[in-house]
Amino acid sequence: MDLIDRYAKAVAKALPQDQREDIVGELSEDIRSEIEDREKELGRQLTNDEQESLLKQRGNPLIVAARYRQDHRTVSFGRQFIGPVLYPFYIKVLSFNLGLTFLVIAIIFTALAVSGQKLGFHDIVSTSLLQLFIQLVVVTIIFSVVETHLKTHPDSWHLKATGGGLALDLKTKKDAKLRVTGAMIGRRPEVSRFESVSIIVASIVAIVWLTAVQNNQFLILGPAVAFLKLAPIWHRIYFPIVLLTVAEIVRAVINLVRPDWTRFRAIWRLVVQAGGLAIVYFLVKAGNWVAVADAVANRASDYARAVVIVNECFYYALLATAILSAAMLILRIVGFIKRRRWQGGSHRVGSAAQERN
Amino acid sequence: MTPGTDNNDLFENLRLELRRGSLVLAVLTALRKEQYGYTLRKTLAEHGMTIDEGTLYPLLRRLESQGLLASEWREEEKRNKRFYRLSPEGKAILKQLLAEWQSINLSLNKML
Repeated sequence: MDLIDRYAKAVAKALPQDQREDIVGELSEDIRSEIEDREKELGRQLTNDEQESLLKQRGNPLIVAARYRQDHRTVSFGRQFIGPVLYPFYIKVLSFNLGLTFLVIAIIFTALAVSGQKLGFHDIVSTSLLQLFIQLVVVTIIFSVVETHLKTHPDSWHLKATGGGLALDLKTKKDAKLRVTGAMIGRRPEVSRFESVSIIVASIVAIVWLTAVQNNQFLILGPAVAFLKLAPIWHRIYFPIVLLTVAEIVRAVINLVRPDWTRFRAIWRLVVQAGGLAIVYFLVKAGNWVAVADAVANRASDYARAVVIVNECFYYALLATAILSAAMLILRIVGFIKRRRWQGGSHRVGSAAQERN
Repeated sequence: MTPGTDNNDLFENLRLELRRGSLVLAVLTALRKEQYGYTLRKTLAEHGMTIDEGTLYPLLRRLESQGLLASEWREEEKRNKRFYRLSPEGKAILKQLLAEWQSINLSLNKML
């Protein structure tokens, strides 16, 4: 995939599906025509650096795509928090998160209802509203931070080494250049600083949330906390999870300082993912993930059916998580080995070229 | 921010607004002859109406959805290109717009 394709692909991701092919075809053609024109003027082919600078002049793919969209809605409370460029992504993420959260809530309440527990309308509404509020606030804050960055540094972006996706870059140098995979232009690939900062923020939020859940199980069980509690396995895996999350923060901080340590990131990620898989394995093995709350221990038989149903839900969810984690780990290992082999090959080609020079 | 910078910004905004209004007219005029996006951009630039692709292509799509332009994908020099031309409705609108523009021009010239 050449630079133009990568740029076009980054624009395409932010376009409505039905217009994507048409717009990207036209955009690619326009870029190729411009490159051809320049090459005719110069009487030679454009270098990769020149192509990069030409694409950079066209602007951030997210902003380019936004110009084609008819939908220019925003999120504003007095001032604009999320502009039309990020709005469609904001809605997508929010819908996905809320959809997932409400699915989990629906499963829990259905399980409780099936097992004969009395559920008040108030319980369902208060749990749903709490989750809605948390998701809305967190997602809006994250997107408004990205929006601020996009407004302050619209030229601070680069095309990722993998798959032609777009990444924002926290580098604020005015002359920041479009950086592409090192393999394509003979430079070393780098970890996006935006990615590193996002991981640090997300990991800290995760640790705070996990710690809060330890003391207030309402955050995860909702009103069911009146008769359910988390089984001891969750307390046992709390520190391993925090340890892995801290490890990820440490890695992100190191990559913030040394974005060129991509191999270090790949190895670290494999270790963290393997650790995560081990935790999921112990979780699956535990067999019980919720138990009857201490407050209603004397009426445990009344809630036995609810506990069984919720545990069954946990079992299938954890099983799916384990399969997905294992598949991802295998894919990452295969990808890592392939990259190592390929880099070894390109290094040899590079050395041979240097020798020829 | 200094008053000079403020004035420059204000002038730039007003200038862009003025050009934006004339852009549709320029594009429709240039498309009396069939062209694809890049050559259209060059034609406009040669006549002093420089327009970036991020503005031109969405404008072309809008004009086409309004029925003023017709387009088709065709292969030229081994590459697929989208050619635009004025539709019969576009021709009629262009005629009216040009008359309006000339009338505005005349009025302004009298005032100046």
